[in-house]
Parts: sequence; structure tokens; C-alpha cells
Amino acid sequence: MNFEDAREQAISQWKAMQQSDKLRVLIGMGTCGRAAGAEDVLDALNKKLVQEHIPAEILRVGCIGLCYAEPLIELVKPGMPSVFYGDLTSELISEIVDDYLVAGNPRPDLALGTRGEGTLDGIPRLFDLPVLKPQVRISLRNCGNIDPENINHYIANSGYEGLAKALRMKGQEVIDEIKKSGLRGRGGAGFPTGVKWQFCHDAPGDIKYVVCNADEGDPGAFMDRALLEGDPHAVLEGMLIGAYAIGATEGYIYIRAEYPLAIQRLQIALKQMEEYGLLGKNILGCGFDFHIKIKEGAGAFVCGEETALMASIEGRRGMPNPRPPFPAQSGLWGKPTNINNVETWSNVSAILQKGAGWYASYGTEKSKGTKNFSLAGKVVHTGLIEVPMGISLREIVYDIGGGIPEGKRLKAVQTGGPSGGVIPASLIDLPVDYESLAQAGSIMGSGGMVLMDEDTCMVDVTKFFLTFTQAESCGKCIPCRWGTKQMLDILDDISNGRGNPEDIELLLELAESVKDSSLCGLGQTAPNPVLTSIRYFRDEYEEHIKRHHCPAAVCKGLVKAPCSHTCPAGVDVPRYLRFIAQGQFDQALAVIRERIPFPSICGHVCPHPCEAKCRRGQVDEAIAIRALKRFAAERGNGLWKAGAKSAPATNKGVAIVGSGPAGLTAAYYLARRGHAVTVFEALPEPGGMMRYGIPEYRLPREVLAEEVEEIRGVGVDIRTNSRTGSVDELFEHGYNAVFLAIGAHQGTKLGIEGEDSPEVMDGVSFLREISMGNTVRVGNTVAVIGGGNAAIDASRSALRLGAKQVTIIYRRTKDEMPASEEEIEEAIREGVKIEFLAAPNRIARKNGKIELTCIRMELGTTDASGRRRPVPIEGSEFSSFFDTVIAAIGQMPESPEQFGLPLERGNTLRVDTDTLATPREGVFAGGDAVTGPAIVIDAIAAGRQAAISIDKYLGGSGVIDETLASPEELEALPEMEEGEKQRIPIPTLASLSERLSSFAEVELSLGEELAVEEARRCLRCDLEED
Amino acid sequence: MANPLVAEDTQAPVLGREATIEERLNGILSSYQRNEDQLIPILQQVQLAFGYLPETAMRKIAKFLNLPESTVFGVVTFYAQFRLVPSGRNMITVCRGTACHVRGGARILREVEKHLGVKPGETTSDFEYSLETVACFGACALAPVMVVNDKVQGRMSTAKVRETLGNGSS
Repeated sequence: MNFEDAREQAISQWKAMQQSDKLRVLIGMGTCGRAAGAEDVLDALNKKLVQEHIPAEILRVGCIGLCYAEPLIELVKPGMPSVFYGDLTSELISEIVDDYLVAGNPRPDLALGTRGEGTLDGIPRLFDLPVLKPQVRISLRNCGNIDPENINHYIANSGYEGLAKALRMKGQEVIDEIKKSGLRGRGGAGFPTGVKWQFCHDAPGDIKYVVCNADEGDPGAFMDRALLEGDPHAVLEGMLIGAYAIGATEGYIYIRAEYPLAIQRLQIALKQMEEYGLLGKNILGCGFDFHIKIKEGAGAFVCGEETALMASIEGRRGMPNPRPPFPAQSGLWGKPTNINNVETWSNVSAILQKGAGWYASYGTEKSKGTKNFSLAGKVVHTGLIEVPMGISLREIVYDIGGGIPEGKRLKAVQTGGPSGGVIPASLIDLPVDYESLAQAGSIMGSGGMVLMDEDTCMVDVTKFFLTFTQAESCGKCIPCRWGTKQMLDILDDISNGRGNPEDIELLLELAESVKDSSLCGLGQTAPNPVLTSIRYFRDEYEEHIKRHHCPAAVCKGLVKAPCSHTCPAGVDVPRYLRFIAQGQFDQALAVIRERIPFPSICGHVCPHPCEAKCRRGQVDEAIAIRALKRFAAERGNGLWKAGAKSAPATNKGVAIVGSGPAGLTAAYYLARRGHAVTVFEALPEPGGMMRYGIPEYRLPREVLAEEVEEIRGVGVDIRTNSRTGSVDELFEHGYNAVFLAIGAHQGTKLGIEGEDSPEVMDGVSFLREISMGNTVRVGNTVAVIGGGNAAIDASRSALRLGAKQVTIIYRRTKDEMPASEEEIEEAIREGVKIEFLAAPNRIARKNGKIELTCIRMELGTTDASGRRRPVPIEGSEFSSFFDTVIAAIGQMPESPEQFGLPLERGNTLRVDTDTLATPREGVFAGGDAVTGPAIVIDAIAAGRQAAISIDKYLGGSGVIDETLASPEELEALPEMEEGEKQRIPIPTLASLSERLSSFAEVELSLGEELAVEEARRCLRCDLEED
Repeated sequence: MANPLVAEDTQAPVLGREATIEERLNGILSSYQRNEDQLIPILQQVQLAFGYLPETAMRKIAKFLNLPESTVFGVVTFYAQFRLVPSGRNMITVCRGTACHVRGGARILREVEKHLGVKPGETTSDFEYSLETVACFGACALAPVMVVNDKVQGRMSTAKVRETLGNGSS
């Protein structure tokens, strides 16, 4: 058939379909769609349509890229915009047929978006959604729109017009067009495509080959699969154009066997091309001959390297050869050969169809056009995207990707698979182009983009990539074969707690030599994950090596259970949960007591870092660990005391300054080790911030008092109202060692005009005054400045003191707020308003009121903490009037200089972070005084470390752990509750008026039945066998 | 000389006992040209027919293509796809791609291993299941994934593994 006739026929068929009065259904039938259950949905739909007598044309289309919403269907009712529905099930699709197709209600609650002319009430236009709006679809232009098994659909959408145009040009002119477009190889290295073609074109020889590299081997990459499944002709047309330009008569598609559907679609496409005279002899009557063969790979990553790929096509082991000679001179069977990857070929056909100038209008100076990425890992919208070059990583992650699931924080973006590297969250504003990514130490790569959050361990991920490259190294050259193995061995040691401090330097040295001396791209790029992860996450390596601690709680060799690994004090959570599940509450309390002296306090106020890492959270919701700890503390009796033993007296004296959680924890363990401990407390009651910082409605005073009594019970002498002036004084009194745990009791100043007025208080002083029982007056309207837990405590306390309206002013947004989420929620529930993106500029007194002038902020680039910096918007000042202003923006230690010790930034005491020793012999420091404001459990952990170090300093063993609970009888364990089951609701004081009229406790005790039920949800990770 | 990596032909599963390996091989080879570049496609076809590559088949392919047997064996052992021992009736393949790894793929693999009592590359003693891993399926958006025969199963959890392999424990 003549191409023009075929084209007209295809177009008229396409138009007829568009104008048909029959319902049209487009269903995503790529690998993703099928894996998500599209076939079942289609069966259900077909059945339902027959039942309702609705005639319909069904198109099985490729991937539109919204993989997260698969199975995905587009319903096109004649004369209406089409409607997309995602996350479908058989039941849902029947419902949609009933409601939309029969009754005419398009169900805006279920619809994703519309496409085509017109709008539907309550449904956004699909391509206006943030996930699609920044995208530009060139290589993926037809994916999801056409039936990939119907060549007419491709032809009707400008298909093969690029080829027809090319055939009217000279080969050199086609090459010039590609050069003009600025297209660079999309396989990863980014070599200019036109230049590559020129080499092959200019090489002498009558037989030349073109190859399509579809050996998409990078784990985490699926762009090429989706493209071949969704629009194979776009790639094939590109190959034809390239072959014509270069003068090749034979082509190969080298595709991995793991992509059966893509292979099938290619086979169908090739057959159709032959039928249409687009393949074979004298193509389109222009005297151009071309044949294409499909070669299935047999599972070897190295075959993505072009010389290895050619060896494999020739039937040999896929091992690379040194270049030069380059394939353009001597490739397949020694003939000039041009190899481009799938995406490049698809761009070629688009460029010839629409022109080089049009193509070059997208992208940046040096990186033209668009790039496909497969977005996967810890991201809300996993899927396939095509974006203009130069777009920022931020837009990809947050706009298109929809951010990180479950409110977690982005840690790094991995590009380029095992050949690429990790880019830390702090570089999120990096533009995505070849040069910028290389500068950051990564590579563009073929387009895999895997997002990692705080639950991803960088050592583990690096080990994962090295395991891969080591296994896939072909073994031909020594640097790659042994270098990857050596690097992997070192990483394995580190992740299993066998690392040495010098390992990091050794890894770097090895990585550089493997990079410099390997034969092919596999070895030359294999060290990239090592180099970038050390460059950006060296501290994580150090944590693994020095402390045997995996901050993400991932490395199996170090982590028994993620919850206890994450607990700063290492409380054995799964074990006490099992005791609760068995009704043995005394034993549960004993387990907790083995690591901390404040079970009840932690049970009341701990912000529970453990729950954030709870594996149950990946199934449904994290276990309510904190509430169960409180339950154990309330129900358990003194069984733990039976196992607790005190060492004989050492006749050594320890002075501890400060009776907060750090001081009292150290006191408890040091007393147990036989030392005579005296605690000096400047305030009237012991407890530090537990007494004077945390409001009573969160921590009733009697709970604190009871646990402090237990400390006294082991012989600790706590002297209140005793301020300590200097360390010398303590040594003069004969103490052998000193622990400074003075906390951070001084509020940070705002540093703005007018803050010295008496109506302006700082948060810590405000909370302390209330806790002292002094009369604290607040006016009707209160502004609290800050976003941490102290700001929340201050605002909720102000409400309880009678304030009618409390407004928190915070300079960033809710996502960046450091206060714990539960606390923020409770505050809002009690009526606290939060003004985000505003910062105070000055304070003035006017007519008996405080005029607070703020400036609006917007979020700018990311700072080192991975949070976006607030930037003032010029001219956006606004004023509000308040009776009281409380500034809770930070805290620091109060006059630490009196101890004559070196200080760090923020007026904190300088210590050796491993031992907590200060530069002065016999003097140790810990808690908020060292770290700045932190949480109780951090201070307890510091107290434990101080006790260990001081005991060793005084000649002891430094062993403070005790066995207090009985051994478990695992045979008697009740079954764990594995099926889907949400966590129990934690009871709180419901009545707002009751809450706000006093400082009565808000959270209530858990009943036995609920507690046991909740404890049984624990997945018992610690019992998991290897 | 017997190679420990190569299964004795007598241990071959009952697949197509009626025709001898020889006859079936001849049938396959007759549709190929005697060129070296046909080696990998032939091996793929033979493995598809037998479930693995029997030693006699490899010798015969070498003769057919006029290649040293060592070359054929070299190619077979180079590529991950080729198997020298028979596989089970059902193939469980767990993806070890990056996206799957980040989303807990290692735990899925451990669960399958525990359930079937075999490691990757092994087959249960009743030849019911073979367990393999793959570098990446490219179904990353649905990570973690596992493939049972040809059916890709997305968004796996350890509970779903148990559900899928329900009675499959050997």
C-alpha cells in the first residue's frame, strides 16, 4: 500500500473513532497496570457493560505515567470530556458504570481528572494536576493515548511523517537536523547524537548497522519498558531515520528478556511495518532498504555497555572491549555501527516530525529537550515522567512526585542507578541537566530516580548497589572484578558492626582506583555510589563504625528491632510488649527498668522516636509504644526491685549539678555502682525540665515525685535550692568526679526592637513561673512565637491561664515545625491558632496593647538541615495587637561560663561525644547543657553514658545494665495479631472546658483489655530469624 | 567427564518423556541457521522447551554451530538466564531492584525463603517451586514486587507472600 493512502485511511479511522457515538474505554495495560490488577478490572467492566447493554470500544493502551494510580481507566462518553479513574477495583468500576454511564453522575469523588474539550463540575483537568502540569511529553507523546498494537493509531498521530520527511532529505541533512536539535544520548552518558551519527556516516564501509539498546538494566529504571510497551513505533521510526541518515541497512534491537510484553509489542509492530512497506526493500518507494531483528538479552547487566552488547549480539559472552576502535568505526562483525538507546530513538522521530528548532526550544543551553525518569522509592506519586531538562529536583520530588509518603522527610535522591550516586536533600534545588548532576557527583543515567527518606540507610543502599555491580562485573579486568569485591566486603563489615575507623579512607582510595583503571563503563562508574554516599553522608558511616548504630534502623547485622535500636536508651520494646500481651505487667515494667529509671515519665511525655521506625507502621499503623509503656509503669509492681543489686561501696564521691533526667539517671546508676552521689539542684524541687518545663497537664507532679523517690531510694542525696558556683568548689569538697547536667533554662532573645517590655516573656521562664506556682498573668490575647514543643506548651498553658485567644507565629510551614505532631494537633483542638510563614520584626506598646509587627515569609532554597529557608517578602509587614507576647524560639544553658570550661556555639559545654568527658579531668557533662534543648529520653541516654564513663573513670567496670525481668517463655506466647488492624485510640480528656479550666492531665490511662490488644499487634521483629 | 554443575539427564523432570531429548532438539535446531550469532537464541529456545539446559543439548548445539563445547558452556554460564539444573513447576521470582530494596524487598525475599525452605537459585525437593531473584523487573512503581510464573504481583507485604504461597510450603 502507498503510504499516503495508508495515512489517509488511518486518519479517517481515527477520526471516525473520535466521532463515534459509542462509548470509548482506554485502559492502561502496561506491566504496571497488569501488576496492579488491570485485567481483573477490565473483565469486570466488560461483564458490566454487557449486562447494561452499553456498546463500547475498548483500547488497551500503554502507560500514561501515573503508575501510582493503576489500574487506570479513561472513559470517553461521546460529546463529553473524557474522565480518568484510578486505583480501580472490580467493585469500583461497576459502581462507576452505574453512576456515570447509566445515571450520568461522573462521580467527582472518584475521578482523577478530565481530558478533551469542555469541563465537568468538581473534576479538575488531568493535565492541570501538579503531577502532570510541569511535564512535557515528547518521547512519551502517544503513551496512554493510542493502542500500541495498532499501527494506524500511530500513523494517525503524525506517525512516520518524520521518516517520510527524512527520506526526502539527504542523509547528511538529516544528521544536521539532529545536530541542530541538540539531542544528547539518553542512555546516560549524554554524548551528542548527531555527532555520533556523523562518525558512523563518515566511516568507510558498505555494510553498516544501527542498534537500539533496550537492555534497560539499571535497577529502579523502567522508562524504556514503558515506552516500548506504550508506543513501539515511535522508537522504530527513529531507528529507520537513523539508519537512513547513516546509510545502514540492518538494525538490531537488543532487549532484556525480563520485558516479555515489550518484546511482544515490538514483534507485532515489526510485522505491521512490513505490511505497510515501512520495513524491508525499497521503503516508501524511496529505494531505502532496511531490516530489523530483535535480540533478546539473556540476563547480564554489562551488556548495556555497547561493546559488550555487540559481543552478545554476535553470540558470545557479553564482555566489553577497549575503545578505540569505537563502534562507529568497527562495531558489529567489524562494521561501522551506531548504537542509541530507546528514548533517544523516540526523540529522533519526534524531532523529524516537528523540527529541530521546536525541540531545542525545550531544555537548557547545553541539555536540550526533555528527559524521562522513572520515579520510584519513597514518593507518593510513583510513575513515569517526562520533564524538560533544567527542571529542579524539587519540582520533580514535590510537585510531580507529591512529596514523601507518611509525612517522612526526604533524605536523598538517587539518580543513575548503580552507576550514579545519591544527591542529598540539601541539594534539592539542583537543576536536572547533564552538567549539574555530574557536578553533584552523580550522573543523569538512563533515568532511574529513586527517592529515599529517613528510613533509608545510606550504607545499606551503597552496599546494595555494590552487591549488584560486584555480581554483574564480567570479570575481564582486575580493577572492576576485585575492586568491587573489596569495596563490598568493607561495606559488609561496616553494616555488620565490624567496621574500622580507617575503612572510610580505604573505601575512598579503592573507589578512585577502580574508577580510573576499569576497562568499561560498569567498572568506571561502579564506585559512584560509594563516593557520593561518603561525600554527603559520612556521618552515617561513622555512626555504623564507631557506635554500631544504624540511624535508619535498617542494617540487619546491627538492628535487632528498629524500635529499640532507635530508642536513645535502647529500651527493649518488643520484649516488654510481649509481656504485656501475656498479661505479665510486672515483667514488662522490669524490662523497661533494665534501661531507664523513668518508665512512667517516658510513658507520659516521650515523643517516641521508636514509633516512627515501627515496622507495623508499614503495614497499617505503628504500635502505640509510649502509651503501652505508661500502662506497664502504672500496672507493674515492684518485681523489678528483686533483681536490682547495688555494688559494694567504693568510697568515691560524685557531684552532679542539675537534677533533670540526665543528672538523675547518672545519679541512679552511679549509686548502684557503689559511689556516693550528691545531686545539687538550684530550684526548689528536683526534676529539671520535667518539673519546670513540661506542663502539669502532660506530666502530673506526683508521677515525677514517685520516680524521683526511687532515685533517692538507692541512696542518692538530692539537695534542692543549692546553686553551684564552680567545679573547683566541688573538688575542694572532696568529690572525685563531677557531672554537669545543668540543662538549658535560658530563653533565647528575639533580637528585635521592643522585646524588653514587661508584657513580653520568654517561653522557658513563662513555663517555669507557672510550675513554681507563682501567679502568672496573661491577657485575653496572646501571641506565642516559635514552632517547637516549648511554643506548644506555652500556648496550651496560656489557654489554661485564661487567655481567650492564643496565636502561634511560626516562620515556616507546618511541615517544618519541630514540635511533635500529636502536640500540635491537641493544641489546635484546644483552640490555638497558628499563623505560618510570619516572623516578628518589632514590638511596640500602643494604647495599653502590644503591637506586634511581623513580616511575611516564603520558603526559599534548602538549608543544611534539609528544610527550606524562610525568606522575608519585602514590603509585606503587617501588625496585630496582643495583650501578651511569649517568645519560645530557643533555649540555652544558663551561665555555663561559670564552670570555666570551653563552650560551643549556642553556649553549650564542649565534650567528647563518645565519653561525655569535658577537657577538664574528672569533669563530665551531658543533656541539654551539651546538646541544646532535646527530649527527655535523649537526656536519659546521656545520663547513662555519663554513668558508664564516670564509673570507669573511678575504676569501675562501667557496666550499668541489669537483668530485672525473668527469661521469656516463648512457647507460651499468644499469637500475634497480623491481619490488618489499626492501632487503638488513646483515651484523652474529651471536654474542652474541663481541659482549659485547670492543668488536669489530658491523656488518660489505658485499660487492660485495650493494652493487651495493642501489644499483640507487635510484629516481634526481634524474633525474626535470618 | 561429569560436571558437578550439570544435572545428569536421567534426573530431568518428566517434561515430555514421549519424545527423546535428541528428537526434540533436532526439531528446535532445524529452524535455525548455523551461525554463531544464533547460539543465544537457540539456548533460549532449548531452555524454554526443557526448563533447563541438559548437558547433551549443549554438546549437540556446539556440534550444530561448529563451536567448541567450552564456548557454549562459557556462554551458558555467563548469562544469568540459563539454568543447568531443572526448575520447579512454579517459578517464584523476587525483585531485588533499588525501588524494591528501598521499600523492603529484602524482607519479602526472606519471607519467601522461609516459606519455601529454599534459597534463590534452588528448587523445592518436590519440584513444585523454584526461587529466583532478578535485578529489576521495571515495575518499580509497584515496589516491592514478586513474580509468580508470569504474573507480576505488586505492593507485596510479608502477609501477602504467605497468602500467595498459602499451601505451597514444602
